[in-house]
Amino acid sequence: MLRLVLARVVTSALALIGAAAFAFIALRIAPGDPARLTLGAFATDEAIAALRAEMGLNRALPVQFWIYLRDFLAGDWGRSYSLGQPVSVLLGARFPATLELGLYAFVFAFLSALGLALWSAQRRTVLAEGVPRSMALFALGVPQFWFGLVSLMIGFELLGLFPGPVGRLPPGMAAPEGPTGLYTIDALLAGNLTSFLAALYHLILPAVALGLLPFGFLYRLLRANLADMSDAPFALVARAHGQSRLRVLLGTLLPNAIIPTLTASGLIFGQLLAGSVLVERVFNWPGAGALVTQGVLAQDYSVVQTFILLSAVVFIVTNLIVDIVAALIDPRLKTVEPRR
Amino acid sequence: MSGGAKALRPERGKRHVPKRASRPLLFPSALCVALVVLVFGGGLVWPVDPLAMDFTAVLAPPSLTHPMGTDAAGRDVLARFLAGGRLSLIVGGAVMIGGLVVGALTGLAAARAGRAVDLVVMRLIDGIAAFPPILLAMAVAIGLGGGLWTAALGVAISTLPFYARLMRSEVLRVQSYPFVEAAETMGARSGFILAWHIGPHAASTMLVQCASVFGYAIITLAGLGFVGLGARIPTPEWGLMITEGMQYALTGQWWLTVFPGLGILAAVVAANLFADRLADVLRGRRGA
Repeated sequence: MLRLVLARVVTSALALIGAAAFAFIALRIAPGDPARLTLGAFATDEAIAALRAEMGLNRALPVQFWIYLRDFLAGDWGRSYSLGQPVSVLLGARFPATLELGLYAFVFAFLSALGLALWSAQRRTVLAEGVPRSMALFALGVPQFWFGLVSLMIGFELLGLFPGPVGRLPPGMAAPEGPTGLYTIDALLAGNLTSFLAALYHLILPAVALGLLPFGFLYRLLRANLADMSDAPFALVARAHGQSRLRVLLGTLLPNAIIPTLTASGLIFGQLLAGSVLVERVFNWPGAGALVTQGVLAQDYSVVQTFILLSAVVFIVTNLIVDIVAALIDPRLKTVEPRR
Repeated sequence: MSGGAKALRPERGKRHVPKRASRPLLFPSALCVALVVLVFGGGLVWPVDPLAMDFTAVLAPPSLTHPMGTDAAGRDVLARFLAGGRLSLIVGGAVMIGGLVVGALTGLAAARAGRAVDLVVMRLIDGIAAFPPILLAMAVAIGLGGGLWTAALGVAISTLPFYARLMRSEVLRVQSYPFVEAAETMGARSGFILAWHIGPHAASTMLVQCASVFGYAIITLAGLGFVGLGARIPTPEWGLMITEGMQYALTGQWWLTVFPGLGILAAVVAANLFADRLADVLRGRRGA
C-alpha cells in the first residue's frame, strides 16, 4: 500500500513538472515582453531593462523555469496588467462564484445521469433506452455556450420564466454575508430564505448549461457499467435469492456501477473548469472563467495561463487522491502496476 | 462466464428489448453525407458572397431573399452558415488526420521501441492529457499568437493522448495474439508484422477514434472561436458567428446565433453517432 502511494506521488509530481514546463513554454513564447506589458507603452527603455532584471527575464531559461516553479508553488502567480492586481487576488475573489456554479452543475449532472441510467436499466423499453441515449447524445454534441444563449432566449426573453444574464443575484440585491462565498450556502447559514431562493433561481440556467457535458459523460459511463454488471453471476444469485429486480438494481448493481465513475472525477473537474470559461461569459457570471475570457479579449494572458495550469494541477491531484481512495476501497488495486 | 449466466436467466416475459437496426451505420453515414452535400453543394445552389455587406438590409429577419436573415453588417447569414460549415469540416478533418498521424506514430513507437521510449513518451502524453483539452488548445493558440490555424494546431495537440494511448494498447493487444508469435517464429520482419497483422487490427479501432475526434475538433474549434482565440472577424466560422450574434440574442435577432449553433450540433452529433455505432459493430464482431 505504501509503495503504491509513493509510486503514485512520484508519477504525479513528474506530471506536475511536465504540465508546468508546458505552461512555462507557452508563457515565454507568448507575444509581448512581460516587462513592457507591465509598465505600458510609454515606459523608458531603462525602466523596462530594470524591471526585466528584477523579474529575472535576462537569466538562463532553466533558471527562469526554476523561479517560475518556485513562485507558482508559493502562490505568486504574477500580475494582471490590465486589471492592475495580483493574479492570486483576482482569482481568489472570483473563485467562489465558479465553485458554486460548478457545484450545482455537478449536482444536476450526477442526479440526472443517475436517474436516467437507473430508469433505462430497470425498464428496458424502446422509450427508456432511446430517450436518455438521445439526451446524452445531445448533451455531448451541443456547444455549451450556445445552449446557454438559446436557454436565455427561450427561458428569459420569450417566456420570462428565468432571470436574464445578470450574474448571481438580481441587480440591487445585497450579497449574503458568510464564510463560504457560496451565496446559497451563506444565505442558508444566515437564515435568509429570500436571498437563498434568489441565488438558486439565478443558478438554474447556467448550471444546466455547464452540467450538460458531464451529464452526457456520466450517463454513458453509468449506463455501460450497469449493463456490464446486470449479466454478472452475483446479480443472478441475488435474483435467485428472491430479491426483486429493483432491489438488485439499487442494492447490488448500483454500488458496483458507481465506484468506477469515481475514477473519472478528475476528468469531470476538468470539464467543469473548462466549461466555466465558455458558459460564464454568456450569463455574465462573475467567476474565474469569465475572468479568463476577459483576459483573452484584453490580450492579458497572466490570468489565463495561471487558470490553465491550475486546472492541470487540480486534475493531477484529484487523480492522485482518487487512485489512493480506490485502492483503499478495492484491494485488487493495491499493486503498483495496473492490471490489463 | 456471462454466456452461462444468460442461459440460466428466466424469460423476461413482455419486457421488450429494443432491436438493433440491421444496418447500424446506415443512419449516421447518411447524416454525414447529407451534411457534406448540404455544406459543399449549398455553395453552388446559393452562390452569395459570405463577406458581401449590404447596409440597406441590416439585421433583416429570415425571408425569401435571405433564408437565414442578415447580420449587423447586412451579410447573408445563409451564405455565412454554408461557408462556416465548409471551414469547420475542412479544419476538423485536418485536425483529425494530423492528430491521427502524429498520435498513432507516437503510440506505435511507445509500444514497439522498447521500455525507455515507452516510459518517456507516455509520460509526455500524460502531461498533455492533464490539461482539460480546450484549455490546452487555448494555451497553444495564445502562445502562437491566435488565429484559426494556431487554434487548430492546439486542438490537434490536445487530441494526441486519445490516439496515442489507444494505438499503444491496440498494438500491445494484437502483439500478444498467437498468430503474431507464429509469424515471428517463421522469421517475419517487424515491418511486415506491423503492416500485415497489427495494422488491419488497429485500423478499425482507430477509425472509431477518428470519428469522435472529428466531432470533438469541430465543437472545440467553435469554443475557441467563441472566446476569441480561433478564427478572426470577418471569417465566417460557426463559433465566431455565435459570438458576433450574442449581443443581439436577447433583442430579438435570434437567427444570428441559432443557425450556426444548429450547424455545430448536427455535425458533432453525426460524428459521435457514427463513432458509437461503429464501436458497437466492432464490439459485436469481437464478441466481448
